[in-house]
Amino acid sequence: MKIDYTEYSPNQRIAIIAASELVGYKSCFVGIGIPSDAACLAKLSVEPELNLIYESGAIGALPLSKSYSTGSPSIAHGADMITDSLSVFSDLQAGRIDVGLLSAAQIDKFGNLNSTVIGDYDEPKIRMVGSGGAHDIACLIPNLIVLMPHDPRRFVDTVDFATSPGSGRDIKKIRDQLNLPEGPSILITDKAKFIMSDEGWLLHSILDSFTFAQATEGLPWSLKPPISGPIETDPAIISALAQINY
Amino acid sequence: MIDKTSTVQDAIKNNVNAGDNIFIGGFGHLIPFYLSHELIRQKILDLTICRSGADILFDQLIASEIVKKVIFGYVGNPTVGLSHSFSRAYKKKSIEIEEWTNQSIIMRLHAARMGVSFIPSKILQIGDKPSNISHLKQVTCPYTDHKFSAIPALKPDIALIHAQCADKYGNIQMWGIDGDTVEGALASDKIIVSVEKIISNSKIKEAPEKTVIPSHRVSNIIELPWGAYPSYVSGFYSRDDDHYIEYDTTSRDEDKLSSYLKNWVHDARNIQEYKKLIGSTKIKELEEGLCGVKNED
Repeated sequence: MKIDYTEYSPNQRIAIIAASELVGYKSCFVGIGIPSDAACLAKLSVEPELNLIYESGAIGALPLSKSYSTGSPSIAHGADMITDSLSVFSDLQAGRIDVGLLSAAQIDKFGNLNSTVIGDYDEPKIRMVGSGGAHDIACLIPNLIVLMPHDPRRFVDTVDFATSPGSGRDIKKIRDQLNLPEGPSILITDKAKFIMSDEGWLLHSILDSFTFAQATEGLPWSLKPPISGPIETDPAIISALAQINY
Repeated sequence: MIDKTSTVQDAIKNNVNAGDNIFIGGFGHLIPFYLSHELIRQKILDLTICRSGADILFDQLIASEIVKKVIFGYVGNPTVGLSHSFSRAYKKKSIEIEEWTNQSIIMRLHAARMGVSFIPSKILQIGDKPSNISHLKQVTCPYTDHKFSAIPALKPDIALIHAQCADKYGNIQMWGIDGDTVEGALASDKIIVSVEKIISNSKIKEAPEKTVIPSHRVSNIIELPWGAYPSYVSGFYSRDDDHYIEYDTTSRDEDKLSSYLKNWVHDARNIQEYKKLIGSTKIKELEEGLCGVKNED
């Protein structure tokens, strides 16, 4: 069956593509919003073994109604375990959580993420919420997938503030010296998948139903045509969408 | 055993001083709104407030101009948006900040709880570091030669937290999402706790594994049912997401925010008044909501 992805909202498309990327993982550190939707979707369709872990301490959660906070009732309700934040951050630092999903206000060519300030740190145009657990996840998680709506204002050459460190040749060198994992390796927008290289993001593949021009429109990075064929997803993911469609 | 029950007025007046560093509990769950509002009603000034992930209670304390410094990992209105009072104060430079991350704040509290001056960690060695934490140092492991950041202890003067139950001696029972609440409380010199319900000591002894803070660490206990509204209390009431959403509009406008604070803080002289503001329809709805008393499973 041919799927027309334009029928789905941008956030749904991100969750659809991201869910496919979670196959094979057993534990996922999740934040609220699109990351949580994507992990739920994977759990309900292509990766039932995936344990969703929230920084509030909830493990094995499956929020089926909208959650505003990582500590929300929908996260606590139906979780397999509730421990404290120190325990989940300790597991994260020990490398015991497989994969993490993050989003942010700004992303740059090397996957640095900004959720702190737009503009100068001391004289910002917009003062945002700060790291939360984002910096910690970006430093420590062995596999990091970044999820960003395709909004050109959010894609920049260099972020105003690197709340969560990226990857690429130079940053990887420092990460190696500090025994830290390699950082963001996949970026998913609502139209495409990118992979990290020494020189920054490479366009890996485009969601079937979209063109190269659409997938790269307004992005400041010089991007070459995709190195792989169009992204097609398991219809099971699409069927499960209705369950998280809140 | 000493009876530590108190009124919210006396508990704050007798334990909190101007200039204190206060840990405020609650991670989405069990946020001590009514208890912390008493700091505003008593106008206790020059406070430092700290925790990992802070939501609109921090916004209200900052808007009330009793806060000198904020130590945090996150300040916002989760999913809904920014903490507008924090943003305004930050831009006007009317508050000082120390900007960490959630993990580092929790490790700072853990260090204080363990009685050590720092804990080594892999975080905060790459990425941009705010100038206000430039004092953070790096250490080399004496066994492996690996580099770590030396996350310094954070020992608050006092913790204000909310929990489900306690006995009058101050044995605190809490369940559901904890986040950094217990960690922050045990890191602090003094602990004041508001609870939904005061129960007997024999009831506590029926399930001592639910006790997360022992009586000898607690200064005062106050029974404040609905004191964590608009956050939630597992087994009692659900979260009022609509209140958080409306607060975003309210807090964008300083005049609207002053009337909100007059209404919900200054004029709510006792917990019955606060419950009246919530209203019986909302109370019924939240009792029936997820994690509420009528929908625990």
